[in-house]
Amino acid sequence: MQTFILAGGFATRLWPLTEKRAKPLLPLAGKTIITHLLEKIPSEIPVTVSTNAALAEGFRRWKETIERPVELIIEQTRKDEHKLGALGAVAAWIEASHLDDDLLLLTGDNYLGFSLEEFLRAFHPPHALLAAHDIENLAHASSFGTVLTDPSDSRRVIGFEEKPKEPRTTLVSTGCSILPRTALPIVREFAAKQPENVGGIFEELLRQNVAVDCFTFHEPWLDIGSFASYLQAHRLLVGEQALVDADATLETTACTGSVSVAAGSRVIGSELCDTLVFERCAITNCTLRDCVIDEECVLEGVDLRGKMIRAGTVLKLG
Amino acid sequence: MRYRFLLLLWLLSDLLLFLGSFALAYFLRVGFIFSSDFPFAPFIAAAALASPFWLLVLATTRTFALGRRQKTLRNLAYIAYASIVGCALFALLYYFLYDVFFSRLLIVFAFAISAGATWIWHVLFETMLRIALTKDPPQFPTLIIGVTRESRRLIALLKCSRNPLFPVAILDGLGVKEQEIESVPIRGKLNKLDDVLVQERITHVIQCSDLEQSLNLLSACRSRGITYMVLPSVFGIVERDEKIESLEGHAVTVVSPQRKWWEWFF
Repeated sequence: MQTFILAGGFATRLWPLTEKRAKPLLPLAGKTIITHLLEKIPSEIPVTVSTNAALAEGFRRWKETIERPVELIIEQTRKDEHKLGALGAVAAWIEASHLDDDLLLLTGDNYLGFSLEEFLRAFHPPHALLAAHDIENLAHASSFGTVLTDPSDSRRVIGFEEKPKEPRTTLVSTGCSILPRTALPIVREFAAKQPENVGGIFEELLRQNVAVDCFTFHEPWLDIGSFASYLQAHRLLVGEQALVDADATLETTACTGSVSVAAGSRVIGSELCDTLVFERCAITNCTLRDCVIDEECVLEGVDLRGKMIRAGTVLKLG
Repeated sequence: MRYRFLLLLWLLSDLLLFLGSFALAYFLRVGFIFSSDFPFAPFIAAAALASPFWLLVLATTRTFALGRRQKTLRNLAYIAYASIVGCALFALLYYFLYDVFFSRLLIVFAFAISAGATWIWHVLFETMLRIALTKDPPQFPTLIIGVTRESRRLIALLKCSRNPLFPVAILDGLGVKEQEIESVPIRGKLNKLDDVLVQERITHVIQCSDLEQSLNLLSACRSRGITYMVLPSVFGIVERDEKIESLEGHAVTVVSPQRKWWEWFF
């Protein structure tokens, strides 16, 4: 089996945090989102990460910090409109690497709470397998690919609808799936027609009578696509504590909720609540609540609530 | 550079216009001869001495500001105010220099001519300035943030009035399907901000929506030496009845309850 992680999105909803870094490289509880994912993949499975030229440098630096070998595929595009599309990137890699193996397909901006080993054990080729989670909210389900299972066998997928206007279920696909080697020609063929539609491949497999199994999990799952979901993921992983890097300084500062302070940052005389402070920031006499402060910011005497602050911002109360 | 040169030209032309107005007032009042009873040379010398102070007073009314419309009554009032101060300065200087007073009507003439001529010249110069500054490549390429009714109206107005702030690109926090507004291309979402600021050599950013990103837009502008502007509608003030006032020395945006016109002072 081979693993392919999709990490080429421009993550516009998380601007300005993603102005110069890819979403999977956002820090989360002391490591990047993609590192959390990587650590779950059994070490014997080779991993390939697909990104684009605009975000490549960050991934090269990240690759140097991790302990296991990872192959980087750089799509030579710098703009959203020029991208191959997520499924297009998968198909291009399958073709280029002459892949003839089962494929574990993951999206780099998801946090998966379940064990991937357990997921792999649920894979029975030539069936495809997808991980699904019950989000228990029908209205929200329209933002995801919904999974309809057989009422008599909840492990068997009988329908898949990508972002339906009127969802029929709250069970949604989570960006974690296994495509058996026998299904790869279908992937290539479908990607040629709909290169953006990753979820659509399951509709296509079912249409071509390829059995798709469902692995339903109840552990936490977070699709980190927005500021709110990023803070939610941070709360989930950090809990009610302050995670302060050994190279960071915290002086006369009160922390409540989930707080992270990264290396090189200095927080003095402030109040932090549910806040992430990235590297090399200087925060003095501030009250920050539900904030993400990007690298090298200097904040003095300001109260902020629910803000993502761009790297290098200087805010000093006049 | 183009703007600085034009502004300097404007200031110099205003100085000459002030002197010309006084000379014309002299000839209209004294007659088109050089009188020996009331010599021209000391008269124009006093006017020349007063002229820089008049220009300074005029500048403090912000009549030379980039966005100022010259054709308005308010602007005429500012120019008239500066002319009154200029004439008063002239009368004082003349008295201090030569120890004599002279025709009061001449002062009235000088005021009327300098105020009227300056206003007309400013209206003409503004037209020339706008043509010169919006000629390709525009002197002040402006980035509009947000696709809203307000921003559509603003872009149309800026283009129609040939405002020196020339919209060259639009970004929207959430993205929109449209490709352009009034021939101004919509370049995408805010993740393109840095690229657009550099590629288009943006000098001004006007925020028309995406309130939550104000800090970040301002940060990007500060780091690149770009002028940042924000429409009051971003804060929900859509009725255009706001004023900028001072509260203990701090500028504040004020929206007061509507009052009768005769109550405005109180």
